Amino acid sequence: MKDKAGPWASVNAAFSSIKLTLFIFFFLALASIIGTLLPQGLALEEMRKHFSPGVFWWIETLSLHDLYHAAWFQFLLLVLALNLVVCSLDRFPRTMKLLSHREEGLSADKLTKFTHHRAYATSLSMEEVVSRLDEFISAQFAKLQPLESPPKFSAIAEKGGWSRLMVYVVHLSVLLILAGALIGSLYGFRGFMQIAEGQASNEVQLAQSRRVLVLPFEVRCDNFEVSFYDTGMPREFRSDLSILKEGLEALRQPVYVNDPLTYEGVTFYQATYGGVLKEIELELTDKESGRIQRITLPFRETSTIPGTEDRIQVVEYQKEFSNFGPAAGIVVLKKGQEPTGSWILIDRPDFHGNRIGGYQVKVLKAESGYYTGLQVKRDPGVWVVYIGFVALLVGIGLCFYTSHRKLWVLAEPDSGGHGETRVIVAGRTSKNGVAFEREFQDLCDRLGGVLIVK
Amino acid sequence: MVNSSILLSITTFAYLVCTVFYLAGAVFRFTPLLSLGTAFALVSLGIQTGGILLRWIESYQMGYGHAPLSNLYESLVFAAWAIMVIYVVLERRIGHKVLGVFPSLFAFLAMAYASFSKGVDSRIQPLLPALKSNWLIAHVVTCFLGYAAFAVSVGISILYLLQRAHKANPHPKGIFALLPNQKELDEFNYQMVLFGFMWLSLGIVTGSVWANSAWGNYWSWDPKETWSLITWLIYAALLHARTIQGWRGKRVAWLSMIGFACVMFTYFGVNFWLSGLHSYAR
Repeated sequence: MKDKAGPWASVNAAFSSIKLTLFIFFFLALASIIGTLLPQGLALEEMRKHFSPGVFWWIETLSLHDLYHAAWFQFLLLVLALNLVVCSLDRFPRTMKLLSHREEGLSADKLTKFTHHRAYATSLSMEEVVSRLDEFISAQFAKLQPLESPPKFSAIAEKGGWSRLMVYVVHLSVLLILAGALIGSLYGFRGFMQIAEGQASNEVQLAQSRRVLVLPFEVRCDNFEVSFYDTGMPREFRSDLSILKEGLEALRQPVYVNDPLTYEGVTFYQATYGGVLKEIELELTDKESGRIQRITLPFRETSTIPGTEDRIQVVEYQKEFSNFGPAAGIVVLKKGQEPTGSWILIDRPDFHGNRIGGYQVKVLKAESGYYTGLQVKRDPGVWVVYIGFVALLVGIGLCFYTSHRKLWVLAEPDSGGHGETRVIVAGRTSKNGVAFEREFQDLCDRLGGVLIVK
Repeated sequence: MVNSSILLSITTFAYLVCTVFYLAGAVFRFTPLLSLGTAFALVSLGIQTGGILLRWIESYQMGYGHAPLSNLYESLVFAAWAIMVIYVVLERRIGHKVLGVFPSLFAFLAMAYASFSKGVDSRIQPLLPALKSNWLIAHVVTCFLGYAAFAVSVGISILYLLQRAHKANPHPKGIFALLPNQKELDEFNYQMVLFGFMWLSLGIVTGSVWANSAWGNYWSWDPKETWSLITWLIYAALLHARTIQGWRGKRVAWLSMIGFACVMFTYFGVNFWLSGLHSYAR
């Protein structure tokens, strides 16, 4: 631990504590649980109906109806990021020091205190021992790096030192993912488009606000198709889209559920579909005069009823209107009067309620089609997130399954009289001690053969 | 005529026999029974692998043509398979057959639930448009390898806690005499959590990339997504507590059990319970 005084040191200490990390992990988990138990994304007014005033007070105060976007939740993510940065900055210099550390003055006493160590006595001369040690360890483990030369020979060999850095790769990856998400929310947008077959639009209804965003190009839905399996389950949704740039067709491509279209950084995903009315043919009977008129109306275009000054428009269409089948919402405008409108049942032409103003309305023919619902988004941060994902996975894999393994070797003339030379090998690993134990024992057994130990 | 449903029915029964052998071998301290358990585990795995592959082929014959990983039934079958594959490999590496009691029991329970519950439809069904993607296999396989490793780890945690509660007895009997010591159990538990955490991370990432390519959003705080993150956070806490704070044994075993409870909730709770909560406007 560092011995710095002052406010920075105490802030640093608070943010670099593992207890804070554990606290954030558990607290984030708890908050997320609450978010999954309460329905998210509903209006506050809607929530008021379902909960008692006491519970509702908490929901309103802590924005529990939109918890993951609440300021306190985002603040928690910020604290997590800070904790990550401070912890990593706190530990990184120590790791680098550990990796570049060159020990001096190895002694037999020190090495025999290691959990993994082995001592040999051999009748080979010092020079022979040093040359055999170098050859064996450099070939079987890692390059032997001498520290002291005879009369006393000491050396180290290490591999996988970079494994100690992998934890920082994992931490950095989490920061990248958070940063990518931030970039996306600052510089991207997410919204929705609804385009009827044959129509084109450049207006995107934004998801997080009521604003409409105008794209610098138009999207036309040439055709929409839905197909079903014989079980009645939908098999495929397909929108044939064209991109119109300044009125000219720039791109034509079908869009499926798992296969979106991207143009100028904006991506269009197949999200929903529904029915629309293209054109309707009506028979209008004027109740007063008994005159019968026939008229063909395109959807949402105003026409004048022949022989009158009355105007008529189809404003709405529903594929299924309260179990009565399809219905068209039609409005009639008479000069000097308030407009009157009604739902006209398309499949029941003789229904007595098919009346608007002074007209009895009968649908002769209705040509319906589809509209396609497209999810639209632009997210310049997604590549940062993806780089974070790759770093996270690579980092976790290498962090768990590689280790920094180090050997210390000492050779000196034997004073105890068992032989010519005494050799001690000790080893240590940063993790996965069980596997290293096996590797170390195997290496020492073979080294015994090389050193011709009796 | 051999078909996948016959093979998978046999598998269910075979895992029951396997569990009985492991349990009897452990309780009566009779190692040949444990070896029989292992043999049965391998045979069951073989039959199950055949069943899964056959189901894959049958789906092509029906004209649907998709990997058998598309609904609850198929995921339960794959979960049982993954638990046993991971356990058998672990057993080979560490040589303690007595640990097979819980994995074989979990595999049997998953298969039994898949086969006998009325709520689980075992028919081969066509694929919804949303699932028609190569990401399906990558996402389901990675997630379930993670879940399976956590299942094996929770079995070890339970054995650890039993062993610990029993340590006062100087002459252990039955299962406790055969169990590895506490330090070993703690280490095996940790290894399984590491393995599971790696696969869970891969599972979340593949799911996220898939969601982005299908719906244009790599994270939308949907309950299933959120619960997988909760699970990830719990195991991340376990790893940090063990590595940095030096937690061992009891606390790690309990955290691993809490983590597995989150896995179970992500898998079943979100499907059956949260959807219910969200459709409260009946």
